Amino acid sequence: MSGAHKSGALLEVSGLSVDIPTEAGVLHAVRDVSLAVRRGETLCVVGESGCGKSLTSLAIMGLLPPSAQRRAHRLALAGEDLQAAPARRLRALRGDRMAMIFQDPMTCLNPAWTIGNQLEEIFTWHGKGNRRAAHDRAVALLERVGMANAAGRLSQYPHQLSGGLRQRVMIAMALMCSPDLVLADEPTTALDATIQLGILQLLAELQAELHMGLMLVTHDLGVVARIADRVAVMYAGEVVEEGPARTVFTAPRHPYTRGLIDCIPQPDRMVPGQRLGTIPGMVPSLVGEVQGCAFRTRCAFARPECAADVAPRHGPDAHMWRCVLPPGMLERAA
Amino acid sequence: MSAAPLLELRDVRRRYSVSSGLFAPRRTLTAVAGVSLRLGAGEALGLVGESGCGKSTLARLVLGLEAPSEGEVLVAGRPIAALHRLERSRLVQPVFQDPYSSLNPRRSIAEIVTQPLAVHGIGTPAERRDKVEEMLGLVGLAPRHAGALPAQLSGGQRQRVAIARALVLRPALVVCDEPTSALDVSVQAQILNLLLDLRDRLNLSYLFISHNLAVVQMLAARVAVMYLGRVVEEGAGRQVLTEPTHPYTRALLASVLTPDPMQGLPAMRLGTAFPDPLDIPPGCAFNPRCSFAFDRCRAEAPALVQREGGTLAACHLSAEVRVAAL
Repeated sequence: MSGAHKSGALLEVSGLSVDIPTEAGVLHAVRDVSLAVRRGETLCVVGESGCGKSLTSLAIMGLLPPSAQRRAHRLALAGEDLQAAPARRLRALRGDRMAMIFQDPMTCLNPAWTIGNQLEEIFTWHGKGNRRAAHDRAVALLERVGMANAAGRLSQYPHQLSGGLRQRVMIAMALMCSPDLVLADEPTTALDATIQLGILQLLAELQAELHMGLMLVTHDLGVVARIADRVAVMYAGEVVEEGPARTVFTAPRHPYTRGLIDCIPQPDRMVPGQRLGTIPGMVPSLVGEVQGCAFRTRCAFARPECAADVAPRHGPDAHMWRCVLPPGMLERAA
Repeated sequence: MSAAPLLELRDVRRRYSVSSGLFAPRRTLTAVAGVSLRLGAGEALGLVGESGCGKSTLARLVLGLEAPSEGEVLVAGRPIAALHRLERSRLVQPVFQDPYSSLNPRRSIAEIVTQPLAVHGIGTPAERRDKVEEMLGLVGLAPRHAGALPAQLSGGQRQRVAIARALVLRPALVVCDEPTSALDVSVQAQILNLLLDLRDRLNLSYLFISHNLAVVQMLAARVAVMYLGRVVEEGAGRQVLTEPTHPYTRALLASVLTPDPMQGLPAMRLGTAFPDPLDIPPGCAFNPRCSFAFDRCRAEAPALVQREGGTLAACHLSAEVRVAAL
């Protein structure tokens, strides 16, 4: 198997940066991001809009807009260097070995093609088999993602399906070639809470069954807590905390992580009229050089030393954070 | 007899005639199938349900944007259909889900918030300016935002503008239709806190509509759960959340994901099959998705009756069965 690599990681990202030239100067949208996803592992990337989490996944897939510049020390899938790979090889990898589920199922399906055409195309394009095999695979996957009358659905067009069903089609499409790695960018954000739960259960089941690596990008820590093995919290283009989900949620070391946890309404712990925790202020501009901790302007614990660059700290279980605060400071923070 | 409640819905129904194909006969879609609700001044009522349950149609009926097919919508004791457009808009104002499409992209923030005052002919231009400035301050926007266009603001700021526009006439009732579901969780918290602060300061009443039970419970002391056009459970928020009576409420509650890494994904009690509002099953509309359904549920629609604890629920399950099932 090609995945036999010395570090054991399916996806290795080290020192990834994405710069976008704008009229006001260079926008440092992703800054020195390092991540790893193993086979059978779920990594959740969390952060607010504009933190660079979606650009990170697009950079991994090689789908950045032409003006964006990507740099990385290492970017590898199952040991294969994606930066050195020619466009042809990348096209062969995308959809086959690594697949992406986009946020908006309303715009990501071609309205002029039937569901069946779109599902089968990926399979035949990658040379996995003939139309008949593609058809059988599509029916099997639609059934697997919980769509009733799967064979009949293949002749339907996207507009005939509800948002939840379209998202299921997107998931089935990502799985057509049994990829090693699935990147899901906010796959449930546009959906009802009940449908969201169904989609997450499905992703978790399929991931365990097919032993894929799953990288899930979201802004909702409620989702992360229930599905992630590891969590990377992004702020202003940077990973500010990363570690096992249990450690990050029970003992966060970055005030931003604490703030994100506190702003989720929890029906069993709150009285009506109780205010939620919030993170005051706004995400800083990332145009030009960013010095020191980018969160210090919104942080209740900011100190003078935060203005200098903060080196990553490391704890047990590969827990990493970029904050100068001593342990125990965030236990009671609200 | 006490004073009339601020908002009263009396067995409201709304039907649409929809085309089901070129040659097929038109069919009737019942979006709201007999809803009765009351909301007093200064109160907040939460309305929860999935997409397609009729909650947004209900909001449009309360706003007077549509007339009910049957039943009555009364605002301050008077039928909303009898009120003049201007009179109605002084009493009831909306905040919609999508702050990207509910604001005119070519008008400045100040113009957007001034518009209702101008339409109603309130104050001189100078007075309007002061009023708008005060309103922007109340919703947490800086004076420098007044000249900005919606495109220059973030989603959270735009929703603040929508709230300012709704409140500048000081309406008695604000209908919030999914006001935070297009926003980041961190921004959602800010907007929810803002709505709570404004209610305390301006003595507002809210009809708060969402698919997320946790969000509704934060704002509303009373909660009504809707399923396929009907209210299936209604009661004090605390009661509904701690001891849900209807299996559907329990499923909605289970789908709220709290940041607790020890719990994992909750087991789904609800089939994923989306109900077809054109083809509502006989008996209890929820029976195909209910794991407790028995013969009576498939034959007879349950009425909304009062349970111990004061909650109203429409379910045939007896209290004993429910306790055993939990």
